[in-house]
Amino acid sequence: MKRIGIFLLLVTFLLSFAGISFASEPTLEKIKRTGVFTVGTRSGSPPFAYINKQNEWVGFSIDLARLVHKNIEKKLGKSIKFELKESIPATRIPLLTSMAVDLIAGTMTDTRARRENVDFSLTFFATGAQFLVKKGSPIKGVKDIAGKRIGTQQGSTNERELRTRYPQAVLVVFPDQPSAFTALAQGKLDAYTNDGIQLWGLKYKAPNPDEWEVVGEFYTYDPYGLAMRKNDSDFRHVVNVALMEGLEGGDYFNIYNKWFGPKSEVPYPLSHDVKTFLMMQVVPK
Amino acid sequence: MLIYGFLGIPYDFRWSVLWESPHGTWILDGLLTTLQVSAFSWVFAVLLGIFFGALRTVPYRPFRAVATVYVEFFRNVPLLVWLFFWYFGAPEVFPETIRQWFIRHGMEFWSAVAGISVYHGARMSEVIRTGIQAIPKTQIEAGVSSGLSVGQTYRLIIIPIALRLIVPPATNESLNLLKNSSLAMTIGVAELTFATRQIETYTAKAFEAFSAGTLIYLVLCLSIASIMNRIERKFAIPGLIARAERAEH
Repeated sequence: MKRIGIFLLLVTFLLSFAGISFASEPTLEKIKRTGVFTVGTRSGSPPFAYINKQNEWVGFSIDLARLVHKNIEKKLGKSIKFELKESIPATRIPLLTSMAVDLIAGTMTDTRARRENVDFSLTFFATGAQFLVKKGSPIKGVKDIAGKRIGTQQGSTNERELRTRYPQAVLVVFPDQPSAFTALAQGKLDAYTNDGIQLWGLKYKAPNPDEWEVVGEFYTYDPYGLAMRKNDSDFRHVVNVALMEGLEGGDYFNIYNKWFGPKSEVPYPLSHDVKTFLMMQVVPK
Repeated sequence: MLIYGFLGIPYDFRWSVLWESPHGTWILDGLLTTLQVSAFSWVFAVLLGIFFGALRTVPYRPFRAVATVYVEFFRNVPLLVWLFFWYFGAPEVFPETIRQWFIRHGMEFWSAVAGISVYHGARMSEVIRTGIQAIPKTQIEAGVSSGLSVGQTYRLIIIPIALRLIVPPATNESLNLLKNSSLAMTIGVAELTFATRQIETYTAKAFEAFSAGTLIYLVLCLSIASIMNRIERKFAIPGLIARAERAEH
């Protein structure tokens, strides 16, 4: 009896951690009070957010977060510190809910399930899943993967799609991209799947980019958004206006060119359709 | 009742994600994999531990040196590094055909078992060494002078006594091993921590998923601890290991 009592005590103790009530202070007020705008992002997802050879934390998503930062400063009328924090797929939602970060700017796909827990900004990039293979591989797309060892990154939307729609493939799931890529390079995987643009990023960052091929049609649709705490529409408005003004005034396209333009490390031209789609999200003043 | 405590915060608890299909199956599969990885690793770790632990106390210097090198090398490198070594490094030295065979036969699982066994084997051998050293030297001398060889003395007298002395620290090591098996996730083994993260990534219900993981590990560890407790009581040698029978409860 005593032992059961101790056990129950332990359980209550543990659950009480989950019960620590998170202050639901509006984000703008919190930023004004602390003078810091904290952004959760990735460190190994070139060119969206990664640590470059000069050991600087940079990327497309981080530059977009800086646009948001400028708009927050404008709105609050004072200078605010810009801070970055590492957030992997498994930690990004808890980091947001616990107020540790104010915005997630990485490679987070906007999904309906995720919208139940966080709010998303406008879509700032649209991509879909493809495969990264060694040149000359028999895998040319999602139809050729039966019985093959396919690496995926845990928490990605494409992993979910493969698991439910293509169960014939042997999935090997890694928590991060670098280890999956190493396994692929060593021949432990037949292909690695992720959002197409991230595969291009990996290919261009590989020691010999020519050895690698990105193959297949998109078999998922992955719109990327910036994520925020739920039910904070004032803050969401500031974030969205920053993106809209960036699209309207051309800052967005300058940033796009910096990371995906012809002279960048991962050339990836913006297709006409995607450009139209991005612009149509901009509502009138 | 708990849910009420969360009112007013921007998070909506939904515990049913834990047993909704297919999440419940993932947790069970993950639990099974965790138990398998831990069980295999535990058996190998104990065998390695007994072997090297005994070797560290034998009266031959070269044997002791070999065992010391093993222990110090393997326990002082982080387990995560060992897992990467056994998965990304070690298999690369084999010829291509053997390597392919490994890849097609659960390489992730066995690399994890190898990494955990060897690391915990080194730690376990320290536990066993202290057990052996707690036995008065006169026992070995008595064994040898009664006509047994050193090997026989160890096998028939010293190790059986040592194993009964070291149950409490061995329990500690076993619990560590079970919890460390969660690192196998980093090389693609779908164990329990993996399963809870998987649920989190599918449903974005982080608190529910991780609480479930925490609770399952807690229950596993408490059961192991209580089994070991029973073993300890059953095999205690009167006079050699003092038990605080009353004070504990």
